[in-house]
Amino acid sequence: MTQEYETFARDRSRLVSGREVVLTLRDLAPGRRKYRGINVRAVVSSPARPGEALLWIRSVVGNREAQPCSVRIVEELPDAFQATPYSDFFEAMARAERG
Amino acid sequence: MAPRAPQDFRTFLHAIRATGDLFAIGDPVDWDQELAGIGRLSCERNGPSFLFHNIKDYSPQWRIATNPIATWRRMAVAFGLAPDVPVRRLYETYAARESAPIPPVVVKGGPCKEVVIPGHQVNLFDLPVPMVHEGDGGRYIGTWDLVVSKDAKSNWVNWGMYRFMVHNERLMTGFPRPTSHLGKMLLDGYVPEGRPMPIAIAMGCDPLSHLAAAATFRIGGNEADLAGGLRQSPVELVKCETSDLYVPATAEVVIEAEVYPDRVNQEGPYGEYPGYRSGEMGNAICARVTAITHRSDPIWTLDTTGFMDSSATTTSITGAIAIQRRLEANGVPVKAVYVPPEGGVHLAIVSVRRGGAEVAQKIVNVLTVRRALISKVIVVDEDVDVFNIPAVLHAFATKCHPARGLHVVSYEGRANTLTPAYTQAERVTRTGASVALDATWPPEWPADATPVRATLDSMYSPEVQRKVHDRWRSLGLH
Repeated sequence: MTQEYETFARDRSRLVSGREVVLTLRDLAPGRRKYRGINVRAVVSSPARPGEALLWIRSVVGNREAQPCSVRIVEELPDAFQATPYSDFFEAMARAERG
Repeated sequence: MAPRAPQDFRTFLHAIRATGDLFAIGDPVDWDQELAGIGRLSCERNGPSFLFHNIKDYSPQWRIATNPIATWRRMAVAFGLAPDVPVRRLYETYAARESAPIPPVVVKGGPCKEVVIPGHQVNLFDLPVPMVHEGDGGRYIGTWDLVVSKDAKSNWVNWGMYRFMVHNERLMTGFPRPTSHLGKMLLDGYVPEGRPMPIAIAMGCDPLSHLAAAATFRIGGNEADLAGGLRQSPVELVKCETSDLYVPATAEVVIEAEVYPDRVNQEGPYGEYPGYRSGEMGNAICARVTAITHRSDPIWTLDTTGFMDSSATTTSITGAIAIQRRLEANGVPVKAVYVPPEGGVHLAIVSVRRGGAEVAQKIVNVLTVRRALISKVIVVDEDVDVFNIPAVLHAFATKCHPARGLHVVSYEGRANTLTPAYTQAERVTRTGASVALDATWPPEWPADATPVRATLDSMYSPEVQRKVHDRWRSLGLH
């Protein structure tokens, strides 16, 4: 079965730019661990590429796009981002992306 | 002897089962949306609580109860009152008991310690945390909880009701707003020193302890004292395993954790109490679980957040009384306050003994000084019953001047980021506005030129009123 994830995006164009991006994925595999989060560096492809895990993009209000992209995970990152509480999470990811 | 408020969650469940306000479901139900969907429909239809005995992927050891006090009937039972008492009586009961706080007592143990799971063995996916709405950012723990935190520099202990989301086996993210008491403690006392802040999330306590946690309460005030007053007996507290925090001993489940002073993670979006998923992402805290304790046969609690959830009733009462007290303290001639649950905690109705533009502006100024959760206040004269929504609507529609009757205050840094009307940019900067809708007669208008309401009690002589009422009764009408 193809692995499926979802992610939430404020700026969709950043995700599907074709370059490596930092993002949080939710694992959609059925069972107790469904919706488990992982932070990754990955490449997102739209339209989806055969053989890659499917990635559903949702907006910041949770609306899901009609068609999935695909995602290739380059590396798994630490399970939290460095930033003070209440910092903008998307900016924290962008900082991690810049290294 | 007066009926006693239920002193733990199980006693409460027995009580609402006896009044017909709890349904048990033994068939298997999916924790992924289906279970919460049933609770959601019940909120929208003023229906019962549910107790689910058979949760997909989880052992029968676990049960889930939904929307404990999302209706006035169940709220009344929580207070130890008859389920059909008028809302006004619930308000009066809360106000009276709130004025007589009772400090908690510390005990050595309790049912919440029957199972103790140390941090290195914790797995949040062992808990049957429901996926509440399709499209939420994740599975939410804190929909009906009691989160304990302690000020870094004083003995102030805060209880609050805040949402928390599962990230992985040991990490949670949460959204106690930065303007909340927990947020204030974290930002003022722990973040500047780079220290993690201990918290404890208690689930399934007696319902009035949760009501106290959800209450709008003064900075420095201990909600445990308030809970004791509401219950009319002290809350029994037991020490946490990994911090010096204390939690209600009868809790079903306790999650102990530390909030990072220097890390964040994805939190939200989440379908919230105003009845929308507003996209308030990217503005949260991150916590690592240090231990979990629970009963041997725990009942998980869930509020299926959204229109007419439990916060609609809890904030209706606690918010209204807090508003009344604050207005009184600031010299507003307030008579009564009602926060209608249908308003999604965004609307308050305030009746005043003397109205006019100056009073209306003062009301909205006073209510937005530190944080602004309510964005609309309808101000009515004292002859309008605030609990009578048709009468309030009539006054608003007819007496509020379309131009002169609107009194707005704008602010930055303290707006309610869950207000659906705000843009994403306004959410980020917490910029917003509140308005008083003045439906009172201007006090400068002479009495002989002020319109007279065309109702039986206003436009007919006492003699005619008496005759009409006599006739009415003689016809067998009520």
